[in-house]
Amino acid sequence: MMPLQPVLLLSAALFSVGIYGVISRRNVIGILLSVELMMNAVNINFVAFSHYHQSSVGQVFAVFAIALTVAEVVVGLALVILLYRSQKDVLVDGARALKG
Amino acid sequence: MLFGLSPVAWALVALFAPLAAAFVIAVAVPLRKAGKPAAYLAILAAALSLVGAVFLMLRQLRAPSDILIQTVRWLPSSGQTIADIGVRIDGISVPMLVVVTTVATSVQVFSLGYMADEPPAAFGRYFGYHSLFIFSMNTLVLAPNVLQLFAGWELVGLTSYLLIGFYWQKPSAARAAVKAFWTTKLADMGFVAGVVLLFVSTGGFGWTAPTDPTLHMWIGFGLFLAVMGKSAQFPLHIWLPDAMEGPTPVSALLHAATMVAAGVYLIVRANPLFQALPVRELMTWLGAFTALFAAIIAVVQTDIKKVLAYSTCSQLGYMVSALGAGSLMGGYFHLTTHAAFKALLFLGAGSVIHAVHSNELADMGYLWPKMKVTAVTFIFGALALAGVPGLAGFFSKDLILEALYEHHAYGPLGMLMIAAFLTAFYMGRVVFLAFFGKATKKTQAAHESGPSMLAPLVLLAVLSVGLGYFGKRFAGLYGVEYHFHLGAVGGAASVLGLAGLVLAYAVYGARWLPESSFAFLAPVAQVARSGAVDKLYLFAFHKLALGLANIVGWFDRYVVDGVMNFLAWATIMGGRRARKLQTGNAADYVYAVIAGAVVLATWGILR
Repeated sequence: MMPLQPVLLLSAALFSVGIYGVISRRNVIGILLSVELMMNAVNINFVAFSHYHQSSVGQVFAVFAIALTVAEVVVGLALVILLYRSQKDVLVDGARALKG
Repeated sequence: MLFGLSPVAWALVALFAPLAAAFVIAVAVPLRKAGKPAAYLAILAAALSLVGAVFLMLRQLRAPSDILIQTVRWLPSSGQTIADIGVRIDGISVPMLVVVTTVATSVQVFSLGYMADEPPAAFGRYFGYHSLFIFSMNTLVLAPNVLQLFAGWELVGLTSYLLIGFYWQKPSAARAAVKAFWTTKLADMGFVAGVVLLFVSTGGFGWTAPTDPTLHMWIGFGLFLAVMGKSAQFPLHIWLPDAMEGPTPVSALLHAATMVAAGVYLIVRANPLFQALPVRELMTWLGAFTALFAAIIAVVQTDIKKVLAYSTCSQLGYMVSALGAGSLMGGYFHLTTHAAFKALLFLGAGSVIHAVHSNELADMGYLWPKMKVTAVTFIFGALALAGVPGLAGFFSKDLILEALYEHHAYGPLGMLMIAAFLTAFYMGRVVFLAFFGKATKKTQAAHESGPSMLAPLVLLAVLSVGLGYFGKRFAGLYGVEYHFHLGAVGGAASVLGLAGLVLAYAVYGARWLPESSFAFLAPVAQVARSGAVDKLYLFAFHKLALGLANIVGWFDRYVVDGVMNFLAWATIMGGRRARKLQTGNAADYVYAVIAGAVVLATWGILR
């Protein structure tokens, strides 16, 4: 049986890459991709622990998470299109309408 | 059993007939606007009330010590009853009931003539108020406990406000009504405090005092404050002279016979509550002082009604003083006789005012040949008030003075002796100035009043003469001993009274002495006219009450409101700072999320 630790390390690395992407990217699509990376890091954890505990619950969660991610991306892309319509680009720096 | 009705049923008739009349007059607008029919309805109700009272009196005289109480539950609370409501028929309540209904009926009949010039709508309104007043007063008189008495007491206050302010278009009448209302309300704070203390200490509203002497004393003081307001004792007498702004028959009803006597009645009714020693001392001295003080001012009044108003203060002082000395008979019997002759005097004054269209004594004179019945009845009333031997006032006043003498209250006794002299003097003055002397322009056209006004005068005059001989009967009702004997004290008072009358004759009748020989009284007149006591109240109000209000207001504005305003300001400033956290930059939110995750993770590891 494959040990758990390398898989968790892979997951943490992937998650960190995702966070770095969210913080450093200015392009909304890039940020969305980074969020997907973070999601996948979580999914890897789910599957790994599921396998480790010999329980299928984690895998079910992973399937749900993938389904939800798809829905989220649909909404996200719709927002991106709206953002593009309102300011002719998809950079987040300009989108500060929620400023206090 | 009369007409098959039980005593309780008669008491209820006496109570509710006027209420029904008041209700009908209030609700049936066409009836009220018609005037006369409303008056007849009110008089019918008052007469029914009188019949009930007389029936109860006859029954009570057969069995003087009989007590009949009929109550229903009033304030139920968790299975118990806090207070009952109902009627108490005994030797104390029945005589007062007869006094109230007799005077009220006489006054209403008198008003038929006196108020005839009023517009019909006002006429109807007047009689509606009157009926409500009788109901209120009877509620008070028949009350089986202190709480119902208080309810009646406040209702009487309300109706007196309505009646004093009857000519509400006149600013002075409106002011007088408000003044009477507020002065008595101020005093009623004492009543409320007393009732609450009574309930706390005894768990009920009975007439019996609590065992704790300190509580007993405070209850007594509280209730006595209410008495001072209602019965116009110094220094809360200020509303009574102003209340003369009301129609004269109202003065006869409220301010002579019934409402102002309610205070004295309360002392009689709740006698055990007033037994604490300092309270009784206060009653004796304050009553005597009021009697003297008011008598002095009555001497210099130029308005016939105000003379009578101060005289009423003075006589109420006699009653309070007697009750303070422990003479139930003196106080209560004087209340009864005084009701007859003071109502008579007020109605007589009303008859004169109706004829000459003026309250001022200077506008009157030589009315005797023109108004024989009024003059004769008025003179009988004046003599009874002056304490001339043989008339009602003589017997009751004698009782009071004897009681004070036996009580060794020589100070109050002295004051009351001087007051007796002054009483005779000022009543003589009024009689000589109004009915004898020179005729004035206003008296030329005067003529005798109609039969509806003269009949009550004659009835009350008969009572003023005859009531004094029923002392033994009344004593039986009150359950006290009574033997009439003319002692040195009573003799001296009679001599002083006669001397007062002679002096009045010498000055205002025969004019042996010029009026100017009383120039030394000018300062008194000045003080009376300027309303020194009123000024004192105004000073107290403006300087003390408003000063205190200012301090409290400052505290409220700057300390209480200040704390609130600071909190509001801090919230706003905090909000202003906090909104800066919201940059609109998506990356900043991510930093916040990460920071939060790190904090949570650290906490999870360290825990």
